Amino acid sequence: MPITITAPKPVRQLYEDQDDVMSDSDSDSQSSKDGGNNNKYKNMINMIKAESGAAATTTTRSSTKPTSHGEIVTPGEVITDDPQWMRGHGTFVAPATSAIISSVAGTISRTNKLLSVRPLRARYTPEVGDLIVGRIVEVQAKRWRVDVGATQLASLPLSAINLPGGILRKRTETDELQIRTFFAEGDLLVAEVQQLFADGGAVLHTRSLKYGKLRNGVFVAVSGMGGGGGVVRSRRQVWTMEAANGGGQIDVALGVNGFVWISKHVETPPDLLEKTAGITNIEESVSATMYSSQNDRIEAETMREIARIRGVVTALVENGLRVDEDMVMRGYHEAVEMAILSSAGPDDIYLGGERGQQLAAALTAI
Amino acid sequence: MPLDTSAYGLALLRVDGRRWNELRRMHAQIRTQAAADGSSYLEMGHTKVMCVVTGPSEPGPRRGGLGGTASGGGASSAQSKDAEVAVSIVVAGFSSVDRKRPGRGDKRILELQSTISSALAASLHTHLFPHSTISISLHVLSQDGSLLAALINAATLACVDAGIPMTDYVVACTAGSTSTYAANDEAADPLLDLNHQEEQELPGLTVATLGQTDRVAVLVCESRVQVSRLEGMLAVGVDGCKQVREILDRVVRDKGHRMLLEGTVERGAGLDDMEVD
Repeated sequence: MPITITAPKPVRQLYEDQDDVMSDSDSDSQSSKDGGNNNKYKNMINMIKAESGAAATTTTRSSTKPTSHGEIVTPGEVITDDPQWMRGHGTFVAPATSAIISSVAGTISRTNKLLSVRPLRARYTPEVGDLIVGRIVEVQAKRWRVDVGATQLASLPLSAINLPGGILRKRTETDELQIRTFFAEGDLLVAEVQQLFADGGAVLHTRSLKYGKLRNGVFVAVSGMGGGGGVVRSRRQVWTMEAANGGGQIDVALGVNGFVWISKHVETPPDLLEKTAGITNIEESVSATMYSSQNDRIEAETMREIARIRGVVTALVENGLRVDEDMVMRGYHEAVEMAILSSAGPDDIYLGGERGQQLAAALTAI
Repeated sequence: MPLDTSAYGLALLRVDGRRWNELRRMHAQIRTQAAADGSSYLEMGHTKVMCVVTGPSEPGPRRGGLGGTASGGGASSAQSKDAEVAVSIVVAGFSSVDRKRPGRGDKRILELQSTISSALAASLHTHLFPHSTISISLHVLSQDGSLLAALINAATLACVDAGIPMTDYVVACTAGSTSTYAANDEAADPLLDLNHQEEQELPGLTVATLGQTDRVAVLVCESRVQVSRLEGMLAVGVDGCKQVREILDRVVRDKGHRMLLEGTVERGAGLDDMEVD
């Protein structure tokens, strides 16, 4: 029985503007059975070489060809081959050329002559002055190692914390021996980046009454820099807010690294303030409770409102909105309104799924 | 059914209806896991692979006195100046036709792990992350040939998603030959992107290149093949890698555009702005 051979159909293209890659797809239509195979492969190899040359020219062309504003660049894409530019983060220069090539997927940012690529998403990169929330993972002889969500662990030297009994006391050997009484493994703390090493490692300090050990609250980790929402650097990262429904006062600390701490606000007992006079004495009395790991009594209402704020933060992140003081405050008020309208009343703190989207829509509508 | 019968010679169509230089349907997604640093899902035909990247991050103090559990990695990360790329592969029991219990320390899996680890370590800019580990976790959900190629492509996509700087995409593809080694046919045609059946019966190789260049990052050939056929197979494989790169690049760009439209990423300076001042 004879076999009828129909002519092969043209290749269905996977993507519209990809024809230069698929262009050789018809070269097999007359597959030579006459022993010219080796030549065929030679030709094919040459063709591929020519094509890769063509690909190279297309990439260089793309450096001059105007693309629409604010486009995405991907790894291996030539940004420019003009030697007047300097390369920044997210780029590299190919050996023996002057072409600046992107090494991450992201958007280009330009500072005078410096070209860098902001990745769509990446781990947190510390900068001096950042307020961060971290967790102790290791205790060493004279310092702690802190997980701040960066590529490396940050270090917190014993000399960079507020030691009990006065802000400007020198550290002693006794302090070194009882290093675990200040911070132990698993403790959470809020700190500031004091210094950076050349390899990107950070040194933290807590030498202010704003910083120190965290208790009485809940920890939320959201994705840090870039990539669909997250905490942004802003003027105020730590604030105290008045909660609705009799929740009392609540502290919120948004670490730039994407770690968030929401806790009950604890006032310094007024009798303590009366007893002591002078700024050093206040420091002294405050620092007595500073390294306590014991939670205070927290009322059910306060817990509920803390959970609501946590829900707001996760809803903001899930819907790709930035997390800062303004958004959290507005989101919280919106969430309180939503809870009053809902059937369960103010106890309804669920903000996932559709309710989260509803919250995000209400926030972006304004 | 033997594949080197006359059917291919007559119709020039393979068992699944493709011609010699056609890829199977390739589908990829990035950011499939919100909690991970980077994640991807990739299908090459019926080979389905999932990847999750954690890091670069510095491992905490070692617990239990045991060294790093990550396999397929390079030297110990603690002192090294470069990041370590640790790859772990889990093959699901239901991934192939015959259900297999995953044996511990399977030599094939270990070899895949070390191949992927060294290929990616060469492309990723590991010198930017001293003392840290990039851990890549791959899950094979379904197998239909070209497993190593699919794993490499998925790992590359997940690394792009994690924002780890790299020289270029590492893209992989398989190539084969239309007749068996035993046929001793010096002039057999090359084939692109083998499926499981072709992989079983025909000689084949896996080639990975560095993006658009002709630089070969991985070349694995586990079958006997006449050396005269190798050149053609390699050429077809390298050509396939370029097609794969375009597909993966499109996936990343689409995701980026969507993020730009949603406003989750700030717009940057366009490439056209390079000419100003």
